[in-house]
Amino acid sequence: MSQTKNTLLQRNRDPYLRIKILIGVILAGVFLFPIIWMLFVSVKPQDMSITAPLNWFTPPYTLSNYASVMGESDVLLWLFNSAFVGFATTVITLIVTSLAAFAISKIKFRYRRAIFLFFLAGMMVPGEATIIPLFEIVKSMNLLDSYTALILPMTASPIGVIILKSFFDGVPDELMESAKIDGCSHWRLYWNIVLPLAKPAMAAIAIFTFIGSWNNFLWPFLAIVSEELYTLPIGIPSFNSTYSTTYMLPMTVNAIASLPVIIAFLIFEKQIVKGVSFTGIKG
Amino acid sequence: MKNQALRNDILAGMFLLPFFLIYVVFTIFPIFKGLQMSFFDWSLIEKGEFAGFSQYTALFTDPDFWQSLWNTTLFVILSTPGMILLALVLALLANINVGSKLRTFLRGSYFIPSILSVSVISYIAIFMLQPYSGIVNNLLNSFGLEGQVYWLANPVLAWVSIVGVTLWWTVGFNFILFLTSLQDIPDSYYEAAEIDGATRWQMFKDVTLPQLIPISRVIFLLQVLASFKVFAQILLITDGGPGTATRPLIQYIYEMGFEQYDLGYAAAMSYVLFFILLIFSVIQIRSGGQGRMI
Repeated sequence: MSQTKNTLLQRNRDPYLRIKILIGVILAGVFLFPIIWMLFVSVKPQDMSITAPLNWFTPPYTLSNYASVMGESDVLLWLFNSAFVGFATTVITLIVTSLAAFAISKIKFRYRRAIFLFFLAGMMVPGEATIIPLFEIVKSMNLLDSYTALILPMTASPIGVIILKSFFDGVPDELMESAKIDGCSHWRLYWNIVLPLAKPAMAAIAIFTFIGSWNNFLWPFLAIVSEELYTLPIGIPSFNSTYSTTYMLPMTVNAIASLPVIIAFLIFEKQIVKGVSFTGIKG
Repeated sequence: MKNQALRNDILAGMFLLPFFLIYVVFTIFPIFKGLQMSFFDWSLIEKGEFAGFSQYTALFTDPDFWQSLWNTTLFVILSTPGMILLALVLALLANINVGSKLRTFLRGSYFIPSILSVSVISYIAIFMLQPYSGIVNNLLNSFGLEGQVYWLANPVLAWVSIVGVTLWWTVGFNFILFLTSLQDIPDSYYEAAEIDGATRWQMFKDVTLPQLIPISRVIFLLQVLASFKVFAQILLITDGGPGTATRPLIQYIYEMGFEQYDLGYAAAMSYVLFFILLIFSVIQIRSGGQGRMI
């Protein structure tokens, strides 16, 4: 309601509205251009010669690149690995962070504040700067080159605990007390009362955890040797770096890697945007 | 009563345990492990002799270390202003309310590169920027520019390319943060300004901009932190080249650790990066934390 009023207010008084729309749309074109170009190249026949910029976009089109890329590379396996690692990382992160946040927010125990500060300190540890010792630790646990190595170290997210704790704090203690009187255990309080109320925060954490895992490059780059464990960010360069003059196959691999996330984005755009503004996390 | 307290301690311990274990092993322990490693000759295969401060003294006289640290800093200096100003301009453009369809389209267009994998955006960039066959040179030629621009072979142009690509790829995050705070400014502020007879420019200068200062500070610090970690897109697009002209610190750390097998030296350099990032994190957390939740 106030949004529409704002609209009217601005529309009535903005003499530059048309210019702004024009610039906004042109910039949108600039942002979308490389992605659209990639998609067009992926459906161009491999023997096409390009003589003018427009040739990139004009017919003939073919889907044969998709068939040859799926035959020549393991892109579908990388896609599966990325999805599986992203999904597992997200689920484990949600479970362990919400359990910890519940204890800190809703159970009165000794050293509660100290433990919370200890978790808070983790926000200041930059993962990139501790990646060398992390490699040694994972190596000494004999976990290198495994799904576990890709998933587990990425799940202890202090920011997740902090966000969920502040969300759980908003659940009134009276609600907790009355449930307790009804004979509800802490586990049931956690599962049946607090978690359902924290859905928006859980969704935000799920989104940034998944995007972070999906795009993670440095850690899989170090921790994975076997090609069958490659995720997309590692697999794509291993395939694309062998091409320099053929455009079509590398862009087809790119397209296969991107289409699922583009589609997911179009479906969940609202939640994703909310998740970003909610957490302020960036890649 | 005492029994109840003990029961709570045990209960809390059970809730905390899974997170605590993972956190201690993979987040906290590496800090100390890294410190230990930086004081030893540590190869990829095994731990070697105690080396004292020799890794650190070697680092101070290693021109490659200083060059890569400077390259990372240069990237921060070159990218941060654009990351903030462009994000603000995009947010102002996407905030003009002319039907939610156009708004959703603009918002989606500016943000969508951010969700693509670094490998995808890097190879789009590499192929678009190629001499002779790349579409960027095609376009420049059709606009009348003669000859070829070697985007990735010249140090200055390589930096322009890296910063430009990164801007296109990740400015969407900052854009969303600006857009959300623009939409959070209460309408009553604008109405009051209107009653006072303020012009549009005055409204922007005296209402909009001051309201954006807190989020700008958050964005600035998050951006500096993120940019100091620059690595993957440079590795993939220029591989640190031409020569080592664009090689960032993390790439040098990687090369020393995993190509020269000198993990002790790599750990010592990581510690320098650790402290640089720590300083910015502390400033960031003290100045109001991560985004809007805390």
